[in-house]
This record gives sequence, C-alpha cells and structure tokens, in this order.
Amino acid sequence: MNEAGLHAKLGAAGIDGIGELDTSAKDPFVVVEADALVAVMTFLRDDPDCAMEMLHLVTATEREACIELAYHLCSYQHHHSFVVKVICPRPEGGNHDTWHPEVPSVAGVFDAADWHEREQWDLLGVVFAGHPDPRRILLPEEWIGHPLRKDFVYPSFLGDVPLELDATPMYERGPDWTPPSSEPRPAGEPLIQPPSPPSDRPHAGGQAPAKDEAPADAADTGKEG
Amino acid sequence: MEALEMFTSDRNADVYTEELKLNLGPQHPSTHGVLRVELAMDGEIITDSWCDIGYLHRCAEKIGENVTYLQFTPYTDRMDYLASMNNNLAWSLTVEKLLDVEAPERAQWIRALVAELNRIASHLIAFGTYGIDLGANTPFFYAFRERESIMQLLEKISGARMLYNFIRPGGVANDIDDAWMDEVSAFCDDFEKRWVEYNTLLTDNFVFIQRTANIGILTKELALSNGCTGPVLRASGVKWDLRRDVPYLEPYDECEFDIPVGEGTHGTLGDCWDRYWVRMREMIESVRIIRQCIEKIPPGAHMEKSMVKMYKTPLKPPPGEAYVRCENPRGELGFYVVSEGGNSPIRCRTRAPSFCNLSVLDKLLPGTMLGDAVATIGSLDIVLGEVDR
Repeated sequence: MNEAGLHAKLGAAGIDGIGELDTSAKDPFVVVEADALVAVMTFLRDDPDCAMEMLHLVTATEREACIELAYHLCSYQHHHSFVVKVICPRPEGGNHDTWHPEVPSVAGVFDAADWHEREQWDLLGVVFAGHPDPRRILLPEEWIGHPLRKDFVYPSFLGDVPLELDATPMYERGPDWTPPSSEPRPAGEPLIQPPSPPSDRPHAGGQAPAKDEAPADAADTGKEG
Repeated sequence: MEALEMFTSDRNADVYTEELKLNLGPQHPSTHGVLRVELAMDGEIITDSWCDIGYLHRCAEKIGENVTYLQFTPYTDRMDYLASMNNNLAWSLTVEKLLDVEAPERAQWIRALVAELNRIASHLIAFGTYGIDLGANTPFFYAFRERESIMQLLEKISGARMLYNFIRPGGVANDIDDAWMDEVSAFCDDFEKRWVEYNTLLTDNFVFIQRTANIGILTKELALSNGCTGPVLRASGVKWDLRRDVPYLEPYDECEFDIPVGEGTHGTLGDCWDRYWVRMREMIESVRIIRQCIEKIPPGAHMEKSMVKMYKTPLKPPPGEAYVRCENPRGELGFYVVSEGGNSPIRCRTRAPSFCNLSVLDKLLPGTMLGDAVATIGSLDIVLGEVDR
C-alpha cells in the first residue's frame, strides 16, 4: 500500500485529530494531534492492512516556530513505510530553558521508542509523558540543558570539572593555571554536584539527595555565555 | 528464567544470600568498547540488568548541524568505524535524495563492491572477537589475516585503511581499474577456502556450541518490537534484508544472492549460535555479490558531472527532508536530514543499528548466568562508536 492508501485507511479508523497527507515532501507524512498519537500508533501497528511492526526512528527537530516530532514506521509484511508527525508550536519567548514541549510516550506501543525517546529528551528536551524510565541516556545525569537545542549555551563546568577549551598547551600551564573563565568553587560546596533532578533509580550508587536539601543550583556555575 | 527457578527453589530458606551489584565494564574487553552494564546478581544468576551508554558520545548530530553536507562525510566514518564504507554510502544516498541527484551507473556498482568488501571485514571482526569472548583465541588471528587483505585492497583505492571517506554524494572519490578487480577476485577465491577453515575452527566446535546454543534467545516478537535489524533480526527468523526488499543500489536489484536466516540448528531459534551463523553465511553471500559486481560492472563515469560543479561551493539542498536507510553489517543505518536551504542541515538524525540492537540486552540478560552475558553481548555485535555517536 502506498502512503495515500495508508492515510485513507487511517482516516477511516475514526480517530480524531488526523491531518491531511503532505505529498509535497520526499517522504509523504501526516500530521496528527498529540492527543491522538497513541491511538494512531496502535492502529497502524494492529491493523492487518497496515501492519507496521517496527518503529524505526523517533526524531525531534527544532524549527523557528515549533518543535516537530517525526515517527518513521515500516512494515515487513507489506514492504511499506509511513511517517507520522506531531507539531508542538513554540510559545511566546520559549527557549531551551523554559520550554519543554510535551507529547505522549509511545513506549507502550513499541518497545523501540523507549531508548529513542530518552535520547530525544536528553538532547532536545522533549518531555514524553508516561515514559516508563525518563532518564537521560547519553549524557550524564548531572548535565544541564539539552545540547541539540539551537539556543543551547555550552557549559563551562561539569560538576567540578572545567569544560572550557583553552588553547594553552598542557606543558605551558604553570601551577597557578586556571581555565580562563572559571570561577573558584565556593567553599563548602560538594565536589561533585548531585544530579538534578535527583535520580530515583533504586540501584544507582550513592545516596540520592533528599527533596528538601535541594542540590545547590549548579546552573549558576554551569552556564557561561 | 528456568535456571533461576531451579536454583532458588532448592535454596535453604534459612540461608540468606544478599543481592550483589556487579559492574561489567566500561573497560571490560568483552563489552566491545566502552559499554557499562550494571548487573544485579543472585549468586551466579543475573536477576536484573541496566545498560549504561554514552561514554563515547561526541554528539555527531550537533556536529552535523555545524558543518556542510560534504564535511560531514568523514564524521560518518567514525560512527561505525568497522564499516565506514557503508556509513558513507548511507550519508551520500541521503544527500543525493535531498538534492534529487543520482549517482552514475558505474559509481553504483563500485559502491556495492566496496560496501560488500567492508561487510566481510566487519563480520570477520565479529567472528574473531566472538571467539575471544568465549575463550577461543585462535580464530581471531585467522580473521585478522583476511581482514588485513581487505584493508590493503581498500587502501589502494581510497588511501586509508579504516576511515575511507571514499563514497561521496554524487559518486565515489576514485575510479577503480581492472588490475584492482583482479586482486579482489583473487581474494575471493582465497577467502572461500579460508571460510571453510573457520567453520572447522569454531562453528562446529563442541565447546563453542555448548556456550552459544540455547543462550540469549531473542524471539521474533521481541526483536521486531525493539527495532532490532540486520543479522540480529534475521537470526530470529525474519527474512528481511533491505538489499533485496528495498534495493537502494542498482546492483542489489540485479545480482543474485540469498538471505541467510536463523533456523535454530543447535538449539532454539534466535539464540547466540544462530546470530553467529547468520553472519558467517552472510560473508559468503557478500563474496557472491562481489564476484557478480566484478563481472557486470559497466564502463562510465564514477562521479556525477553536475555534482563536480556543485562541489566548488558548499552544497545547498532545497528545503525539505529525507530519510534513507541502508543495510549495514550491523543492521539498518538511517539518516534523517532536514534542510532549510542553508549550507548545513538543521537536523541530522542518525538511526544507529547498534543502538537499537543493544536496547534489547536488558531484556535478554535476566535469568541467565554471568558467563552467558558475555556470550550474549558478543552475539549482538555492537560498535560503541555508533551506539553513542
């Protein structure tokens, strides 16, 4: 079945919030409402004529006006593929710090979405509501920000480790050398900043910080223009 | 889980054994790179496992958004560094799809030829290191001998031994000549004899079968739902290969080759031995494709003329997006590139096959013995450079 056939099939399924098929794109796609996403995915997987057994890829793309999520699906039985998109419009003045768009997680429909969605949260700050294990996956838990956002500011510190790149070669750095923009660590602060938000992973080594003694705001030292 | 029940049911209720947290990796040789797996152990049995990845993270996707389309080709080399040709191929096809360009016929045949050579080299590593994982040191040296021949062949046409940057948008960097193809033919003759030797070394070895058959069984449903592709999926009994089902190069349409699938020869369908054996047979199928490529390769240009002009300035594909997937040695590599008409893409997403194949590990390990964890990780054949990107 081609994309038009799949779209017609999807339209006949009686799910609200399914948009038109965009055939001008190289891979025709359909835009659906965030609320309809799980129903659409379940239908595409279970319907015998669609039979999309595999979720190939989950991608979040940041544009000027929105963050758009693309779900690439394919079927081994019928040799066809399909693209479903969800658009999250950018609110007024939304930046990487204040705006984390939320879409429902499809990890309950496709297990493959689990790691893909964790990666999109990690790198782009998209919140997948209902995800079974919403941790970062590639970056360390104590990392601040989401690096693939266009307005991401490179941090100068990770915990106590300066990340600022300095052109001075190692052998020319004297005993008093400090990274150019680093500020000395305030006395009494822990050497390694506890993860923020605290990990509730039961097996994670060490003690998760208690809720009331919230971690000292690592963002202040962590962000530097 | 059977083993777990057997052990726990016999346990004396008075004896309390504490759960042990075991840290496998990130510097453990059997994790094939810098993978860390946290294991909860009950004696020798794994009760739970958590993969921890990201030690080799370089944010290649961010780099992709800051360099031009052509400059990103060498970065794709460094994702799956054991199959650079295949990575270059997937990236080039994506950029070509964005630009609406097609590589000339000869270039497509050269691409298939070098991609299959690289596939053999990559599977040889999988074969050799899998032997080492399970305590057989000898196959490794045999595998590296043949891999060395392939690296020397590819060095002659590209100038590099591992990170080729040979396949580029619009074609390939250099043309190949008949003398080189004769050398490839000679290698193929040689390799088929050596391949029989490998089987006597490892495939039918009693100890090897004991270590791999009925271990790490990946069912078809689990494989599909987790997005496993490549030999891992085929070993679970799904006959799916992009080269046959969605031919992305002309030679794959015209050449004859089989798609090996797992059959559960020594145990259950989808066990470690099946995954190993699918890779072994794929090497022979690649040799078949290479022979046909050498026979049928047409004369002509190796680079699209219009692209040569475009190379003088940074490529500027029209606004749009393209998703292309290719059958890599480890599974389906996909690039999803979004262009807004500038010098570099605004999104350069990579679908790494190892990443998806590894996500199934946490579901395979619970209930197995610790020694089998090493066999299972090895049979998935991951490259951490690609998992972390």
